[in-house]
Amino acid sequence: MRERKQGWGQEMLERQKSLYLVFWLLVLIGLAPFVVPAFIIRPFRYQSPGALHLALVFRQIAPIGTVLAACGVLGLALGAWRSTARKQRALLILGSLLVIGSATMARMNYFEWMFHPVEMPGFQKADDAKLDAGEMVLTVSIHGDARAYPVREMAYHHIVNDVVGGVPIAATY
Amino acid sequence: MWKRSVGDRVLHFYLAGINNQNFLMRDRETGTWWQQISGKAIFGKLKGQALELAPFDELSFGLWKKESPGGQVLAPVARDQKKYESKWEDEVLKLPVPVSFPGTALKSRDVVVGLVVDGEARAYPVETIVKQSPIQDRLGGRPILLVAGADGKSVRAFLSRIDDTDVELFRKSDSKDFVLIDSEGSGEWNFQGCAVSGPLTGKCLPGLPAIKDYWFDWRNYHVDTTVYRR
Repeated sequence: MRERKQGWGQEMLERQKSLYLVFWLLVLIGLAPFVVPAFIIRPFRYQSPGALHLALVFRQIAPIGTVLAACGVLGLALGAWRSTARKQRALLILGSLLVIGSATMARMNYFEWMFHPVEMPGFQKADDAKLDAGEMVLTVSIHGDARAYPVREMAYHHIVNDVVGGVPIAATY
Repeated sequence: MWKRSVGDRVLHFYLAGINNQNFLMRDRETGTWWQQISGKAIFGKLKGQALELAPFDELSFGLWKKESPGGQVLAPVARDQKKYESKWEDEVLKLPVPVSFPGTALKSRDVVVGLVVDGEARAYPVETIVKQSPIQDRLGGRPILLVAGADGKSVRAFLSRIDDTDVELFRKSDSKDFVLIDSEGSGEWNFQGCAVSGPLTGKCLPGLPAIKDYWFDWRNYHVDTTVYRR
């Protein structure tokens, strides 16, 4: 009787262990689609074609991948909650928060936190623009419609979606 | 400056990443990733497609205003106005570069005008253009012309050929204003590449997209580029 009970306890322990292993593995899987591209696509660093491709593959699967992993992680955490000692529960919470954070970040465009986009480009007449004569502007003229995009503004926003002379264009800098 | 349509589809771009200090953009419609300098789709649904260049210039405001008095200027975005750096060029010069290409006299952050004609790429240091303007050169087997404007800053590039005849232009030395004369000495030309007097009056040289870029960036995306020197 006693022996059997011990064997059963051992089995439970093993099961618990492998559950934790799966838990942390899922946490890693949930983190990778956010962390790997963020690490590869750092400014002022060299991006090899292979690394860039990997980063973009991760970015592609990130929106769905991170949510699936987060669901798995949360499910496991809930399932293991009762049989987990109080101290270990903190780890379950930590893992859950990490994947939730990753799933959230996968939906953010942090490049646009650094450089706000121009939602609705506004324009002023050349005479009204407060620019020095020597300031550089990107210019385009289509079907008689002439536009100038001050480089100083473009160096911050980088992209302006516009329609000039009826033609949709993207001014980029 | 790109036309943002592929086939019948109009795209809206947003900033989405960086590739060796040249930015990547995505379009809202398909999520495809595009390289800013080449206009090529490098990843995603539209991979392999390329955007068409919109004819553009990089000019000083004063010069542009004279040429296009009725033109419109992008207004500053109120909430971001403080972040526009007036000294951004000096700031950028201090930044590190992710790739470098020794072996030429150029430094990584030297500004060049990059031209591609019939697949042949060449970089023209802006300093050289301003000093030597106008520059006559041959690229991709065609005659080309680079000129700096009267402001000593604005640069334009042209195919210097009209109706299958090569046109050679020189700086008119006795003129204070910016005037070019052709080799026959019979016609004067302006900075827009148009003949304003002589038998070719009203004719304009076809413009070439002159991309201003840092040497390292131009070289990184144009492996076979040569560098103009004379």
